Amino acid sequence: MRYQIALFKTARETLRCLMPICFAAALMSQDGIQVHARVVLGFQGIANNATGDLSIEGDALVFQTSAGPSARIPVGSIRGVSLSQEDKEVGGTPMAFTRAATPFGGGRVIGLFGHKKYDFLTLEYLDSNGGFHGTICQLNKGQGQVLGTALQAKGVHLTGLNDETGKAGNGGEK
Amino acid sequence: MNLNCRAVSWKSITVAFVIGVSALTLPLFAESNRSGAGRWDVAVEEVDGGGVRLAPEFQVAIYENLVDELVKTRQFSRVLRTGDRALNDDPALLRLKTTVESYTPGSETKRAVTTVAGATKLKVRAQLCTSDGKVVFETVVDGNVRFFGGNLRATHNLARNVASRIKLLALPEPTPSTIESQ
Repeated sequence: MRYQIALFKTARETLRCLMPICFAAALMSQDGIQVHARVVLGFQGIANNATGDLSIEGDALVFQTSAGPSARIPVGSIRGVSLSQEDKEVGGTPMAFTRAATPFGGGRVIGLFGHKKYDFLTLEYLDSNGGFHGTICQLNKGQGQVLGTALQAKGVHLTGLNDETGKAGNGGEK
Repeated sequence: MNLNCRAVSWKSITVAFVIGVSALTLPLFAESNRSGAGRWDVAVEEVDGGGVRLAPEFQVAIYENLVDELVKTRQFSRVLRTGDRALNDDPALLRLKTTVESYTPGSETKRAVTTVAGATKLKVRAQLCTSDGKVVFETVVDGNVRFFGGNLRATHNLARNVASRIKLLALPEPTPSTIESQ
């Protein structure tokens, strides 16, 4: 009986470990990876701060906004992708006002807990005229690596997060 | 009483006249200042890290914000991007070179909690050069975020400062000799 319980526990642990790996592998094996993103700036044909879904469809990176319009960047025109991670305050302007209005230093306490880590995907690409463009997309934590790896599989040069060179993203003073 | 009313009305007429004349003449002066610059095209070059370990998103954000802000100034007839094919056959072209001089990474959370710490600071050297490399204009500009907003807002502030300096610039007319020398 004890042996059976131990076996069951081991199987459960193994499944728990394998599930995220299988999920990521399934995401990577299919062409249509789709992640929710916010375009911070620079995506041609999309307004800054637009939210929507970023996906790889065939040989193009497609951003489909929640409102409807979409834009695509051919993978062949992408010069490089870099990933980084940054803490950002959540709640936007309303939260900032609430923090400022909270008495007895309560705003600072809210500020201490009201932040979240995000992945930032920076793309450098060329338009149809050969002009250089850059775009920054904000993704939920962990999704940047998935999308970056998928782009790397298509031959795009990737730096950041898992790569040593990406540590330059943490910055430094001259 | 009647005299008082007459004095007030004369005063108001004079003030209105002065405001009217200045409103009419100021745009003319502005146009005459801009007339030289309006004939130039500008190409924004990629941001040079200058040995500073700058995050890639900052490099891209500075570049994109510079393009946006230069378009807003209406100082140039065209704002082009580096690598654009239109650059090859442009006789009146200025190149904007940006080199990062210093960068202090900040933290939005630190700013929210302490107010005084966590500022993001950027300092760049911006140069407007002709195609043959002659520097027409050079300036060192800061862009900081001290209290509110994300770290990338520093790049927006920086680009706005660069554009406002360039807007004040009285560029010469791109004469045929200037064009030929290019």
